[in-house]
Amino acid sequence: MNLKKSLIIAFAISIICIISWEMYWRSQGYYPTLNDEKALWSMHRANVEKATRDDVVILGSSRAYFDIQLNEWETVTGQKPIQLASTGSSPLPIFNDIVNNTDFKGTVIVGVTPGLLFSTTYPKAMPWERPQAKVNYYQDRTYAQRLNFLLSIPLQQNLAFMSADEEKWADDIDLKALLKRIKIGDRIESKKPPFYNFGEVTIDRNMSMTQRTVTDTAFANSITEVWKFFGKSAPPPDKESTMAFFLKDVEKFKAKGGNLVLVRFPSSGGVRIGESHGLPRKDFWDDLVQQANVKSYHFEDYEQFKNLKCPEWSHLSSEDARFFTTELVQLMIVDDVITNSKTN
Amino acid sequence: MLFNSLSFAVFLVIVLALYYSKLFNWTNKKRMLLFASYVFYGLWNPPLVILLWISTVVDWTAGKRLAVEENQRKRKFWLLLSMFVNLGFLAFFKYGDFLLENFVSIVNSFGIDYKVRPMDIILPMGISFYTFQTMSYTIDLYKRKIKPARTFLDFALYVTFFPQLVAGPIVRAKDLITQFYEEKRATSNQFIWGVFLLTIGLFQKVVLADTLLSGVADDVFGSDKLLHGIDVWTGTLAFSGQIFFDFAGYSTCAIGIALMLGIILPDNFRYPYASLGFSDLWDRWHISLSSWLRDYLYIPLGGNRHGITRMYVALMLTMLLGGLWHGAAWTFMVWGGLHGTYLILEKLQKQYLPFKITKWNGIFLAFITFSCVNITWVFFRAREFDTAWNMIKSMFYMQTNGEKILDSFNIIKVCVVIGILFLCHWIMRNTSMKEVSQKTSPWVLGVVWAILFFLIIIAQGSGEQFIYFQF
Repeated sequence: MNLKKSLIIAFAISIICIISWEMYWRSQGYYPTLNDEKALWSMHRANVEKATRDDVVILGSSRAYFDIQLNEWETVTGQKPIQLASTGSSPLPIFNDIVNNTDFKGTVIVGVTPGLLFSTTYPKAMPWERPQAKVNYYQDRTYAQRLNFLLSIPLQQNLAFMSADEEKWADDIDLKALLKRIKIGDRIESKKPPFYNFGEVTIDRNMSMTQRTVTDTAFANSITEVWKFFGKSAPPPDKESTMAFFLKDVEKFKAKGGNLVLVRFPSSGGVRIGESHGLPRKDFWDDLVQQANVKSYHFEDYEQFKNLKCPEWSHLSSEDARFFTTELVQLMIVDDVITNSKTN
Repeated sequence: MLFNSLSFAVFLVIVLALYYSKLFNWTNKKRMLLFASYVFYGLWNPPLVILLWISTVVDWTAGKRLAVEENQRKRKFWLLLSMFVNLGFLAFFKYGDFLLENFVSIVNSFGIDYKVRPMDIILPMGISFYTFQTMSYTIDLYKRKIKPARTFLDFALYVTFFPQLVAGPIVRAKDLITQFYEEKRATSNQFIWGVFLLTIGLFQKVVLADTLLSGVADDVFGSDKLLHGIDVWTGTLAFSGQIFFDFAGYSTCAIGIALMLGIILPDNFRYPYASLGFSDLWDRWHISLSSWLRDYLYIPLGGNRHGITRMYVALMLTMLLGGLWHGAAWTFMVWGGLHGTYLILEKLQKQYLPFKITKWNGIFLAFITFSCVNITWVFFRAREFDTAWNMIKSMFYMQTNGEKILDSFNIIKVCVVIGILFLCHWIMRNTSMKEVSQKTSPWVLGVVWAILFFLIIIAQGSGEQFIYFQF
């Protein structure tokens, strides 16, 4: 047995294979991106512990994530907010965590996606379980997990084939995802359409829509198919329990001296029609704003936001998100909802 | 820290660099290994290192006293102290909630309305492994089978040696402590073989267990529906492969890492899915635990020295406790009970219906054994009896109206992987990986090695925990 020879052969072939694999996926249009994972969320959640009264924390679902651009926010206010929005999530579990497990007394912006905020308080339901898993991960994460994440950042930022996202996108290219693409026969009927990744996140958790979603209508339509699927399969909203849960935390947060702002981000096309029909503004948003008694912004109330179009009906393109953020922040400054550290 | 993580890769490189540098003499190298082992454990939950320290100090003290004490009562006291501390840790941390839950059930069954909140005690990683390891030290000293460790450092390193700290192999003192007495350096062949074993172990864990099998097993065992027989069989087969690759993968990594340091750890698995019967299975599956249970439980309970009935009782008790060792749930007891029953039935068959095993009936017998083992895995993996029972019914087509949740590709994938696993075990059952490698051309070995490594890289395991860490 000549192990040295085997080792050298294995090393050489491995290097060739890995380089070839990387080049192949780059030739297919993939490029290095970060995964939007619990570890990244936790890194930013930790920042809330030392945040001051002047800091801003953003909560909500993917709309609050895609539609607020952190650099634009910082350009206007001089301060980067802490982005803790979570895709496909109710904001309630994370707001509950911030209110009950931290001393934070600054500004919390809660993005209201009616279909998610008013969905449920059932712990096993997807809109609740997903954000709660992030909170639990933050509370339970080990030092080894923190170290693993820090070590993985340069790899994710430099290698295109590192794409095993927690979301398990249909276009991920880790081995498990590639095997999942193989279909033989029709033993079971898969009702959920393929869900492709349509955003990219940076280390400061700034999420922006990929250019492909804006320019490739067929690709954008594949995302709208997913919204249609969720729209059809979603159970009816549970306004009573979600409102009660949220308002309890709102009162607690206000009593601590915190500043809460509600924002209804734009939607368009079929999603907007579905929301207007299933969760009418008067019954849900207006009632929430009235009972919470906090400053609020609904995109329909502002001329500059009214006609923004979402390429896949639910999120703004990167360009529109930058515009939206700049305008929204200026409105908030005028209303004295947030402070401009540049002028103070 | 997990072997299949980036932090461990960095940790191992640093440890190896320090170990093979000329900075330290042997004693300081052992100190460095001990410190590294505490870091390895502490990066998971630092305060729980204190439990390791307590176990180390108590067993070191008890061991020292047992080595010199002649008074039998005092010797018994020191042994019992060691057992009390180690089993006490296990009872509190591992079985605390289980005992409480069952106590409440018993009280309630008498009509007394008594409720108590679960204690939600954190389970220290690897507690079942290191407590069993240190207990073997004091028991062997009590029986005067071994000499005490020469220094506290040697003993502390024996308890804490990071490659096998959290999931074994459970190494006996005579096999490991003595290796710490003289300076150890791996030869270049040992070192490279260690790297090869680490690659094999990671491949088993990351590619075979986590990428190819865990999803199907999780879907089937996590389903709250009554499932179709094919789905249940596929899920069970997937789990049988997952748990083997997960645990054997960990053991292979541990053996490989230790070998890179020049330390030899014993085999923990020898192709168990080609076992010819259940005695053979337990000589091949988790060998370090089964031999521990044999030496420290089955034989003290009487073994085969007091007649057949007593032997069966001892066998059943050993397997029931072996089941409970894996987890604080009645489903694990059933798993152990089934294995105990299999062993008793096998002994009865050997007594009353003996037959010769040939190469023709051997593979059939191995297949029957493997199938029976699969049935036990249902109870091992299912968290509720109802789930396990529904699955057993579906497996034997007592319920044909079950739901289909697996697509054809997943069924084919699991059958192919498990089929190859079974055949590999059959072909390898009388040989070893080292023997086969020695007969293989360096080119072929190098290419295979590269393929395994490449698959590990593209699988991008996200640091899934090893199943046996929870035990």
